[in-house]
Amino acid sequence: MHRDPQKLDQLRNGRSEIENHIIDEYVLGRISRREFLRRGSIIGLSIPLLGAIATACGGANSSSTASSGSTGTPKAGAKLRIAGVVPTSAINPAQIYDEGGLTMIQQTGEYLSFNDPKTNILQPMLATSFKPNADASVWTYTLRPGVTFSDGTPMTANDVVYSFQQNTNPKVYVNAASVFNGVLTNDGVKKVDDQTVEFHLEAPNGNFSYLISSDNYNMIIVPNGTDYSKWQKTFIGTGPFKLTSYQANTGATFAPNHSWWGGKVLPAELQHIFYQTQQPQITALQGGDVDIVNLIVPAGAEGVLNNPDYTLLDTKSSQHRELSMRCDKAPWDNKLVRQAMALSLNRPEIAQALFKGYAQLGNDNPFAPFFRSTDTSVPQRAQDLTKAKQLLSQAGHPSGFTTDLYTEDYQEMKNYAQIIKQAAQAIGININLHIDNQATYYKDHWLSGIMSLVDYGHRGVPNVVLTATLTKGGAWNAAHFDNPQYDGLVKQYVAALDLPTQKQIAGQIETLLLDETPWICAYYFDSLSVSKKAIGGVVTTGMGQIYLSGAGPVTA
Amino acid sequence: MAVYILKRVGLALITLWILSMIIFWVGQQLPGDPGRTILGNLATPAGVAALDHKLGVDRSIVTQYRDWVTNLAHGDMGTSYSYQAPIRPFITTALVNSLKLALVAFLICVPLAIASGVIAALKSGQWIDRSISVFGLSLLGLPEFVSGVFLIMIFGIWLNVLPVGATPPAGAGPLTQVYHLILPAIAIACVLFGYIMRMARAGTIEALNSDYTRTAVLKGLPTRTVVWRHVLRNALLPTITVVATQIGYLIGGLLVVEYLFHYNGIGSLTFKAAQAKDFPLLEATVLTIGVVYLVATLIADITYTLLNPRLRIGGDR
Repeated sequence: MHRDPQKLDQLRNGRSEIENHIIDEYVLGRISRREFLRRGSIIGLSIPLLGAIATACGGANSSSTASSGSTGTPKAGAKLRIAGVVPTSAINPAQIYDEGGLTMIQQTGEYLSFNDPKTNILQPMLATSFKPNADASVWTYTLRPGVTFSDGTPMTANDVVYSFQQNTNPKVYVNAASVFNGVLTNDGVKKVDDQTVEFHLEAPNGNFSYLISSDNYNMIIVPNGTDYSKWQKTFIGTGPFKLTSYQANTGATFAPNHSWWGGKVLPAELQHIFYQTQQPQITALQGGDVDIVNLIVPAGAEGVLNNPDYTLLDTKSSQHRELSMRCDKAPWDNKLVRQAMALSLNRPEIAQALFKGYAQLGNDNPFAPFFRSTDTSVPQRAQDLTKAKQLLSQAGHPSGFTTDLYTEDYQEMKNYAQIIKQAAQAIGININLHIDNQATYYKDHWLSGIMSLVDYGHRGVPNVVLTATLTKGGAWNAAHFDNPQYDGLVKQYVAALDLPTQKQIAGQIETLLLDETPWICAYYFDSLSVSKKAIGGVVTTGMGQIYLSGAGPVTA
Repeated sequence: MAVYILKRVGLALITLWILSMIIFWVGQQLPGDPGRTILGNLATPAGVAALDHKLGVDRSIVTQYRDWVTNLAHGDMGTSYSYQAPIRPFITTALVNSLKLALVAFLICVPLAIASGVIAALKSGQWIDRSISVFGLSLLGLPEFVSGVFLIMIFGIWLNVLPVGATPPAGAGPLTQVYHLILPAIAIACVLFGYIMRMARAGTIEALNSDYTRTAVLKGLPTRTVVWRHVLRNALLPTITVVATQIGYLIGGLLVVEYLFHYNGIGSLTFKAAQAKDFPLLEATVLTIGVVYLVATLIADITYTLLNPRLRIGGDR
């Protein structure tokens, strides 16, 4: 196809400086079509517009769709049964933090935008467009007209403002505080008119649109004045489903919301069934009691992995484990010792052993491989026992030393801790393992242990991990890392709006962290779900959300 | 008899009161706290403290216990910390589920085990006796999570003749509910069969060797009459006691089976309450199990007394 300069000029007309900058990057071939779509969506250009610009530049006009599962067109009218994790407590959208809870709220609740798990591109949801000002310190969101809640009341800017104010309330603990800390305050959300909301940030933030997308799972939009502690009784939201019944500890049933803005909802009913552990979920799938199992780990799911009767829904995610080493305490206060520890690990073998390969290698920094801003030219750290021993000698530990490692009894982590112990032994570091239940670990050892291995869930952008775990005074800085150069780079990264700049700064951060190695991240493991082969149209995210409005049986 | 029952009820109440104090104190020793469990590990200490204060768990244990007992005396089981909902419906649902499962397991296991034990005793020393005894002993050593997995694999997945989950669809009728309970009930029955069978066998052999049985035989009574009227009545007395002591396990001890077969019984509810440090729910579940156990034991004692006229408590001799 040929470039159409006239069409391109028409489309550019009225665009802001930032928008034109991104268009220029694409026209000049500095970013791919995929990057163009992604960056454009971040700053609020609609997908149809992006597609039209891409066509005018000589590319095909098609947008990616987020769909997973079997090929074929799903049929309407099915009653789908989904096995999931039991929520740990009452369903309060502002306070839930667990997988069971977040899956529940996103059945009926929706976000301003949706992070497409296949492309990491933001898709419009309750907002049709969003754009930053020149320095990305103010973001303006245009709401989708005609959206109603499941009780028929129209959604307006008042509801959006209320929802955000509740989730930035400084007087009550809310789970989204970890995202909004240093980014958005309670009075930073302002209604412009019934269909427009402005977010005035504490500092410029190029990734803000991701921070309030579906990645921030608490940020569903609820009616103005909703008592969050009572939301569980109604599950009121704008989504494709509405609540039929909810029984804590047992399950929930949802019916289609026929006034949903997104069009036809295929399933006739969703029945979510709660399970305490994975094994009965897998046997329920094999026995035909459920159609889909949301969120599984490979260990224990061998019967359904690589089985032609089932479809594995594999979504890349940034879930990982951080092995922090106290940079303010001997022997870890010497970076050579930290590097040596990092070099002792065989990361591909670890990924295979713990996740049967459903993981990507980590390079000891918060930039997961699938993040668009990750600078993949930074060399991947690999096991090198010889060099590790040399570094230990240089650091004054030719015979090694003994230390303690604290971690939690959660998922694969105690197995990983054993692997770390064995790897360290090979270079002369003798590790005493202390594996506690989660409550004790988080209370007594997480931020104070000389070596601490902790879990981190998925996030769509690295901002929270960059700041909270490694900046001076970061709330989750278990390594007690204090590096002014790092802090400065993070500030620049957070403020950067265009991808090339983000990538360039990311490269500097990654290189710095490879040198300093305050914590080790050996892998980012995938988010896995599984369905019967005959079910299609299931969309899952790295966060563990599952979208079923377009799901149903498919013909072979 | 009335005095006896009253005395037993009084003792039961004292036992339950002591049990409640023990559980309350033990629950306090569990790591973590309710506010942290509800808000998550990353919640700020201030947020956790605020929620703990709202829940009242930062008060002294004596104050908490006193308030709880006072409410219970008025029939109020309280509100679950983690579910933020009244406890009574959770207990009722879980208890009913456990009773259903226990009943089906009971109906499968007890008649089978008693019949097997009696047959083994009647054929003592023969191959039938040895086969039944070895079979029973083998099952005794098989944990329910092992037998459960085998049952699921064979009947639920390979043969696909029985459902793998014990929870029936909503609105299911009695037959469907029983259909879903067959596999877990068999897993439980496997655990109990050997124990009950051996007690029945031992009791029957002792009764067969007794003077009254010899007299009945010498009187010329048919074998069937001797067994039904004289042997069984005495042989099953210790078996009744054994069965009654298993009621507590059948109601509250089936955590593994409940997890394996995905069944919301009182065992898994108790475990969840302990994990969440949900003290009101934990207290309620444990006391419920205690009440069931004490009632079952009381019924067993009364039945034992009624069946054994030699025991006269407070009566004429």
